[in-house]
Amino acid sequence: MTRRNPFEPREGALSLYVHVPFCASKCPYCAFESTVPRRGEVELWLRLLQKELDWWTNRIGRPLLDTCYIGGGTPTVLDLSVWRELISAIESRFDFKDDAEVTVEANPNSLERPYLAMWREWRVTRVSIGVQSFDDAALAKIGRIHSAEEARFAVKSALDFGFSVNADLMFALPNQTFRDWALNMREAVSLGVRHISLYQLSIEPGSAWAKMSADSLPEGADMYRWAQRYMPSKGFAQYEIANFSLSGHQSRHNINYWREGEYLGAGPGAAGYLAGWRYKNSGSLKEYGRLIDGGRCAAVSGERLTDAALAREASVLALRMAEGIDIAEYESRYGAEARESVCRVLRGFPQDLYEITDKNIRLTAKGMRIANLIWQELV
Amino acid sequence: MILDNIRNFSIIAHVDHGKSTLADRLLEATGTVESRNMKAQLLDMLDLERERGITIKLVPVRMNYRSKDGRDYVLNLIDTPGHVDFTYEVSRSLAACEGAVLVVDAAQGVEAQTVANSYLATDLDLELIPVLNKIDLPAAHPDRVKKEIEEIIGINAQDAVLVSAKTGEGVSDVLERVVRDVPPPSGDADHPLQALIFDSVYDNYRGVICYVRVFNGTLRKGQSVRFMATGRDYEIDEVGVFRPEMEGVDVLGPGEVGYFSAGVKSVKEAHVGDTVTDSSNPAKTPLPGYRKVKPVVFCGFYPVERENINQLREALEKLQINDSAISFEPENSVALGFGFRCGFLGLLHMEISKERLSREFGVDLVATAPNVVYQIVLTDGSVAEAHRPSDFPDPSRIEEVREPYIKLSIFMPDQFVGAVMQLCQEKRGTYVGMDYLTPERVRLTYEMPLAEFILDFHDRLKSCTRGYASLDYDHIGFKAGRLVKVDVLLQEEPVDAFSFICHEEQAYHRGHAVVGRLKELIPRQQFEVPIQAAIGKKVIVRMNVKAVRKDVLAKCYGGDVTRKRKLLEKQKEGKKRMKQIGRVAVPQEAFLAFMDVTKSDDR
Repeated sequence: MTRRNPFEPREGALSLYVHVPFCASKCPYCAFESTVPRRGEVELWLRLLQKELDWWTNRIGRPLLDTCYIGGGTPTVLDLSVWRELISAIESRFDFKDDAEVTVEANPNSLERPYLAMWREWRVTRVSIGVQSFDDAALAKIGRIHSAEEARFAVKSALDFGFSVNADLMFALPNQTFRDWALNMREAVSLGVRHISLYQLSIEPGSAWAKMSADSLPEGADMYRWAQRYMPSKGFAQYEIANFSLSGHQSRHNINYWREGEYLGAGPGAAGYLAGWRYKNSGSLKEYGRLIDGGRCAAVSGERLTDAALAREASVLALRMAEGIDIAEYESRYGAEARESVCRVLRGFPQDLYEITDKNIRLTAKGMRIANLIWQELV
Repeated sequence: MILDNIRNFSIIAHVDHGKSTLADRLLEATGTVESRNMKAQLLDMLDLERERGITIKLVPVRMNYRSKDGRDYVLNLIDTPGHVDFTYEVSRSLAACEGAVLVVDAAQGVEAQTVANSYLATDLDLELIPVLNKIDLPAAHPDRVKKEIEEIIGINAQDAVLVSAKTGEGVSDVLERVVRDVPPPSGDADHPLQALIFDSVYDNYRGVICYVRVFNGTLRKGQSVRFMATGRDYEIDEVGVFRPEMEGVDVLGPGEVGYFSAGVKSVKEAHVGDTVTDSSNPAKTPLPGYRKVKPVVFCGFYPVERENINQLREALEKLQINDSAISFEPENSVALGFGFRCGFLGLLHMEISKERLSREFGVDLVATAPNVVYQIVLTDGSVAEAHRPSDFPDPSRIEEVREPYIKLSIFMPDQFVGAVMQLCQEKRGTYVGMDYLTPERVRLTYEMPLAEFILDFHDRLKSCTRGYASLDYDHIGFKAGRLVKVDVLLQEEPVDAFSFICHEEQAYHRGHAVVGRLKELIPRQQFEVPIQAAIGKKVIVRMNVKAVRKDVLAKCYGGDVTRKRKLLEKQKEGKKRMKQIGRVAVPQEAFLAFMDVTKSDDR
């Protein structure tokens, strides 16, 4: 495989991820790059972000975006005026495909109508809301600052504006029962969201709860399995390990990740993938600023995988998707031998965990439940 | 040398009663070692001995002494170890002597090894000289201790020598008493040579050096001698005495203690207890020897780094050259790879050997939990030895299993009797007797399976008597017991490394503990894993490790694929370190936890 230089002009569409590293408060289970902003930090971030985007576009040219995702953190902690500057910073440096998917992440308690109106006016197509739960007690327990009612209201408002709405829901919360979980799913569906992302509460190393024992949390297997059965009955196909959607409402931005597509990541702590090079920016605003103001790339770690490692990684990523590995495409990229070695590993597992057809290699619903175990053998 | 002027004696004592300190004072008092050259406890040559304050190897030394009446004597002192594991060394020292100085702590009184060693000396018709040490201590009660000696050991202690080895008080009295009371050796220089090998050590330059006591005849350089046990002849290169360094002399005559070297390549050729005689004029009969010591406690030694197996082998070979009581043979463990199953005389011997291996030979090793050797009577009448559970044949071929027993004497203040009896009972002990040594001190005697004793008896005894008990034991042979081999099965497959031997009545309890522990340590697999404990085909405990029902990654933050991949790689790496047994991946920790392994640097 020939490798291009990621810092040289490129052709073709790509995805853009912009990281907003701020939250109104920090959730105790989260180890993601975000802090409660101190005075002047938002302005500093915006200035540096513009400079970072310049750094890239000066090298790779003016990209055409297929998808754009503004995540965090909590992008809705930014004031409207900051948002307007952010939008113009992106518009002045990137072109968008006509059908570009543009997603914004939002927190229920800060998703106010003016934001929705502004996004509608711009080119936002999807709003992803961190609902997590429709149960006040559960929300309080996991340190979320919004209420169930605020979540319902936020979802409804976003739908009113015509967005394709995703709700993030968490399962296996402390003391959560199977019934609690079923009620949450039902409510999300009945509210009219088009897309649901499921996450198991997991305690990330580096988060405030990292020292807490995981024993007090439910295993969650029943909850996940129930979702796998219930969601399709409501028209939501499981197209990826953690994602269910109505037809036509899949997240193209995320699919691009799993298909080894290229994406530019900008902002402190953002990750990107260009020309076979995976990189991650410094997560500290200070360090990020030092690099950017020094005229340098903000990445503090990066790697170029060997072809064999890349093939293994691609198989793991593709197997997140219900469609799995497209055999023809995979072989053309990584060769028949790589495909065969994936099959060999899978054949070591019980047959009800995977499916190998003429066209695809994929995990079954059961296989997805223990996907991590299977990936460990593939990686 | 005139026999009348020679005195051969040992010092015997319970551990910590000041035997080595007294020996040092005697060396000083006789000018054998000048005080400026004195190191603390000179005769304890090994670093380990000095550090731990115990004597492991016996050490002879020759002293010149002019008594108060002006006569010159040669005193041969053979220092002895004080710990019960090394009783055989004590008996070897004593066989070369005519008398023994019995040192008793004037504060602590008679303890278990005081009695055991006194009995050894009495059995050999040695003259016992009671010495009360540490009389400078405020807690010293010489009169009470004298009474204890008389009542328990049965020798007259009224004129016991009062000594403080620390201050030097009474030391010259000890020498006077040795001269007065220890009988001079008898023997005839004109008879055929009879010399007893009471120890042998390996020296890099001279080969094996035999420590001998000459009973009859003479031993000189150039002489051709025969080792009566092997019938092999050697020519003597050098003879000498201990001052305490080795010093060559022309001849060793009857009654004398010294050494010789004769180009003997390995200590195995020079059996301790063998009699050396003259090749051309051999004695008709050998001197009474000793019973050969057999290892009773076994454990596995494994190198920390698997590639260091040869280093460990060499170290063990070198250690064995100086300590023929150690045995070892290669073995293979699922968890630890290649190593050696080693046999020892007791727990202390095992521990000392482990430390010597790491200190003197620089070997990093892990040791498995100790176990005993079993005798198995098979249905065809033959008897097999089992050094580990995997040596056990199928239960249908077993007629009877026998395990080694010890007779245990425990000395303690009377308020602990109840607690100690309970402990002994729990350890499958059989009550033999109890006697009041004094109104406050009691001796309990029990017979107990050695396996129970080595498990944790010392620690348990210490904690239930707050350290006030002392003990001594004798091996009394094998006894049949209701012993079973418990197999542990993963997915119906027995796993050798987890099998163990125990009494039938404990099988459920211990099986439950092991299975429960494994259940915690074996990670969930894609399928349910039954863990069972079974005796033969009969399953006594069963637990299941549930199958993994869900194992999906949490949110893949903002497309940070690298982070996820690294996490997966780490998990995969963790799996590699597991041992695949059938379809079950078992982590190293499971084996280690089960083997109760200790590293050589955990002290």
